[in-house]
Amino acid sequence: MTRRSFLKSSALAGGGLMLSFTWLSAFTPAGREKEMAPGGQWVEINGYVKITPDNVIKILNPNPEFGQNVMTSLPMMIAEELDVDWQKIVVEMGPHDNAKLGPQFTGGSNSMRMYWKPLREAGAAVRQMLRTAAAQAWAVPVEEVTTKAGMLHHAKSRKSATYGSFASQAASLPVPKGMKLKAPKDFTVVSRSKKNVEGQKIVSGKPLFGIDYQQPGMLIAMAEHPPGFGMKLKSFDATEALKMPGIKDVFRQQLYAEGFEQGGFDTRSFNELLVVVGNTTWQVMQARKKLKVQWEPAGDTKDTMGGGRGPKREVVVPGELESTDAQLRNMKDYAAKPAQQLRRDGDPETAFKNAATVIERTCHGPFLAHNCMEPMNFFAHVTDEKALLVGPLQAPGWTEPTLAKVLNLPADKIEIQMTRMGGGFGRRAYGHYLTEAALISRKVKAPVKLVYTREDDMTYGIYRPMYTATYRAALDANKDLIAFHVKGGGIPEHPIHANRFPAGAVDNYLAEGWEIPSNITIGAFRAPRSNFNAAAEQSFLDELAEAMGKDPIELRLELLKRAKENPVGKNNDYDADRYAGILKLVRDKSGWNQPENKKYSRGVAAYFCHNSYAAHVVDMVMRDGQPYVERVFSAIDCGIVINPDAATNMVQGAVVDGIGNAFYGGLTLKNGAVEQTNFYNYRLIRMHEAPQKIDVHFVQNDIDPTGLGEPPFPPVFGAVANALYKAAGKRFYQQPFGPQLNTPTAL
Amino acid sequence: MLNLTINKKAYQVDVDPETPLLWVLRDTLGLVGTKYGCGVAQCGACTVHLNGEAVRSCVTKVSRAVGQKVVTIEGLAEKADHPVQKAWLELDVAQCGYCQSGQIMSAAVLLRENKNPTDADIDAAMAGNICRCGTYLRIREAIRLAATSQRKAGNG
Amino acid sequence: MKSHPAPNTRTSSLLKIGTGLSFLIFITTAVTTVSSGENATAADRETPLRAGGARPARTAQDSTESAQAFSKVYKVLMSPRCLNCHPSGNVPLQGDDSHLHTMLPQRGVDGKGVYAMKCGNCHQATNTPGRHTPPGNPEWHLPPANMKMVFQGRTPNQLAKQLVDPKQNGRKSMKELLAHADDTLVLAGWHPGEGRTLPPMSHAEFKKAWTTWLEKGAVAPKP
Repeated sequence: MTRRSFLKSSALAGGGLMLSFTWLSAFTPAGREKEMAPGGQWVEINGYVKITPDNVIKILNPNPEFGQNVMTSLPMMIAEELDVDWQKIVVEMGPHDNAKLGPQFTGGSNSMRMYWKPLREAGAAVRQMLRTAAAQAWAVPVEEVTTKAGMLHHAKSRKSATYGSFASQAASLPVPKGMKLKAPKDFTVVSRSKKNVEGQKIVSGKPLFGIDYQQPGMLIAMAEHPPGFGMKLKSFDATEALKMPGIKDVFRQQLYAEGFEQGGFDTRSFNELLVVVGNTTWQVMQARKKLKVQWEPAGDTKDTMGGGRGPKREVVVPGELESTDAQLRNMKDYAAKPAQQLRRDGDPETAFKNAATVIERTCHGPFLAHNCMEPMNFFAHVTDEKALLVGPLQAPGWTEPTLAKVLNLPADKIEIQMTRMGGGFGRRAYGHYLTEAALISRKVKAPVKLVYTREDDMTYGIYRPMYTATYRAALDANKDLIAFHVKGGGIPEHPIHANRFPAGAVDNYLAEGWEIPSNITIGAFRAPRSNFNAAAEQSFLDELAEAMGKDPIELRLELLKRAKENPVGKNNDYDADRYAGILKLVRDKSGWNQPENKKYSRGVAAYFCHNSYAAHVVDMVMRDGQPYVERVFSAIDCGIVINPDAATNMVQGAVVDGIGNAFYGGLTLKNGAVEQTNFYNYRLIRMHEAPQKIDVHFVQNDIDPTGLGEPPFPPVFGAVANALYKAAGKRFYQQPFGPQLNTPTAL
Repeated sequence: MLNLTINKKAYQVDVDPETPLLWVLRDTLGLVGTKYGCGVAQCGACTVHLNGEAVRSCVTKVSRAVGQKVVTIEGLAEKADHPVQKAWLELDVAQCGYCQSGQIMSAAVLLRENKNPTDADIDAAMAGNICRCGTYLRIREAIRLAATSQRKAGNG
Repeated sequence: MKSHPAPNTRTSSLLKIGTGLSFLIFITTAVTTVSSGENATAADRETPLRAGGARPARTAQDSTESAQAFSKVYKVLMSPRCLNCHPSGNVPLQGDDSHLHTMLPQRGVDGKGVYAMKCGNCHQATNTPGRHTPPGNPEWHLPPANMKMVFQGRTPNQLAKQLVDPKQNGRKSMKELLAHADDTLVLAGWHPGEGRTLPPMSHAEFKKAWTTWLEKGAVAPKP
């Protein structure tokens, strides 16, 4: 699509002068399809595949793309069985249609896992339908019809035809089920690196993202939310704001009616916002400065939870205006109190009593903000009859029912179009901003794009929770590990996965959790809980190895051997062999025991979460008096790797993200207000702080693929903590580490 | 009415001269390849070329651009085949892709001024562009690749 | 105090060299005068300097007043508004705690940054509205690489000597030094943008101290 179609040129002074501008949606499927299928109409063979008579083959990607490569790697699964020339196919984001396209949820590192079988079956079914159609037309047995790269062949009769020439006939056939799928050794698309199908659009600045969406007559909305958790809107005076150029309206907007049953992804931090609507983003930003707003403490409030996700229940949201200092003191108190037992093996109390040595350490992790580079935003055009919503969203299937209830519209009158997302990391599973946009559009009776500023985005909430965990280990006189105890807590949820390693590897084991209610909203954040545990636990295992006089990798391997051969307890939530596999791979690839690597302060960590295994060796040096991660070796077991180069990119990104968050990530609060508001005080890792080299190695196996968005992220924290211990000569227990280090005053 | 020249095209826009160039590009002219990330020149997502310099359009008033030469990601190369863009594709740099137009615009200035940048030069040029997905290693590699292909093409 | 504008063109650089030569000669003369006429007690207490054209302290009273004036000047120069652009390294500082500028912009040859990280890419001709936004000035830059004029880490004695050392100050004449108090970047220190602290005294007070210090002999406080 060319820029030309968006610009109405005017023949004033000198010809090329552009006077007015109209936007013909880049996202309107009809317009796009016309361009992509110049030679005919699309024939939909099944929900995922459309073919034109002149053989343009389109594959629809079901899951929203936020940088995890699903737009490329999910269609690869279909293409594998469909037998098409990858270079010639067209890939497009599918519509929101759970009946046709499955769960359509991006999150929990589930895309590969969820779609691995259905998408290959979808591709195989289409191929089978095309073969059947050709066999009927050629009057030959279907078994004799072969395919190659979008062509149908019958060798005996020397007949050949394109997929497109039989598309209509194929579409009228019943969709076959129970297709036999290829064995991994026969793959020709899967496990072969394919370039990002949207790469060209990304590097040329095409309107791919929700925030890029425009429509004629579209207004811009922004919303003031309370300046702190526990606050609400009292009153406002918009007289001056309404006088500002381009401003259409200023009003209070409530999100959920009283008693609205919230499901797990209906989290919202503030139920009432002060909305400013105007013509352009800048005009609205300027008008916001003229608002006179009074906020007041909300006191304790009640939320009704349920919404198809758990029983209906009322939850009290405490009204306290929280501060980080008080939260830390509170956590210390809670940590000393009895907690909920999550798992118990053997007799940990006696083992600790009889121990020759007990090691105890407490680690702390702060609230983390997602800071997706594209701030929250959504386009909405809602009338009394229907709703069109366009923008970045991870879980349309969960947001749509909420929207239907809030708007009182039937679900089939709601169309949600999913754009490419400028990052997600879990944040965009919570669709409150979509619902807000919809309500605003209905109120102003116009198409509206709601845009959060960076400050709105960072201070709105839905953070990675604040966590604390105390680890204890009991050693006998031979320095053997006889008991292990973890007691973890958080605001407002604890981080403990009770059945994860080293559960199953220690005779006496106790896991406990405690939680402090809070009005700070929290949510998924690139393996929440795991990303804290992997720091605390993997750092503790390092200390344990030192106390036991063992190499940290050897200690882990010994424990995993125990868990494999003679597991303790039940429900151990990991495969000890695969766990050990990544540790051995990273040990070998990093030259863990090679003398030439002694110059580095090395740290290792391994973790299993979201069905995949990841281990890292971090090599740290001191640079300009500062610890710097110079190189990293990563070993990953996520089963079959669909798109190896993209998967490598994901792991490298997770490593960089992990280093950044370990050193700099963290939010603090004062009287309910978040103290960090933009990147000047919420530091993100930058180019010069990124390693020189990240070597990524995948375990080669034929196990069904599992996810990669989250698993490589958590162990980075632990490996960094362990390397930092060696580089700095002391261990750090508080994240982020950066503020505790001596920073250079000159460079 | 303000007269602007963007990607070699002349435009007249009727906006407050205090408006940041970013919002004129995005809201008024529909050139949305230039991204909003922070609004305070911290992240570099909004980087465009103003007379060849990699200015942060979120803090650059449109009045500064009047009568000057503005190039955005859409106009970096007519066929989107600038050596930097090609290298980005060759190495499949992007993950979410949101920051990449700003990264590319910064890298293009670096390579114009330094045909054979060292790693330190690359870090110095690119430290103003944040990538939350963490694609920095590939960005570095792509800049090296673009430098090599630029030199081979005789533009070094 | 910010640095004075860096030479923009070859022509202006040449002009500066020309000026420098002329007052080098002057300094030589001044040295003789100082050595013969100096008050022993004052010399003990403070180090009189030979600024470009600076008249040496003639009396102990002058010497004391000059040194006292410099202690005021020093407070301003070491305040973040002045110090942050006079770093000891090649990366400017930021904030009231004078931390390294987060995205590590480099000085570059002309003090105006390098590649995609030139000062003017973010720092506009005027302050950008709002807190934590880039402060602005049409001349925004660090001292150039050939005249770094480091403040960071300098003692009063070192800084006083450095300010009037022609080899380190771009060969400024007395007149130029005096005029420098009203340099656009010096003045920018008193218009720092929303939320930033001001230097510890008014510009008028600073200018008075600066002038007194220079005119009464540009005395460097004792190390």
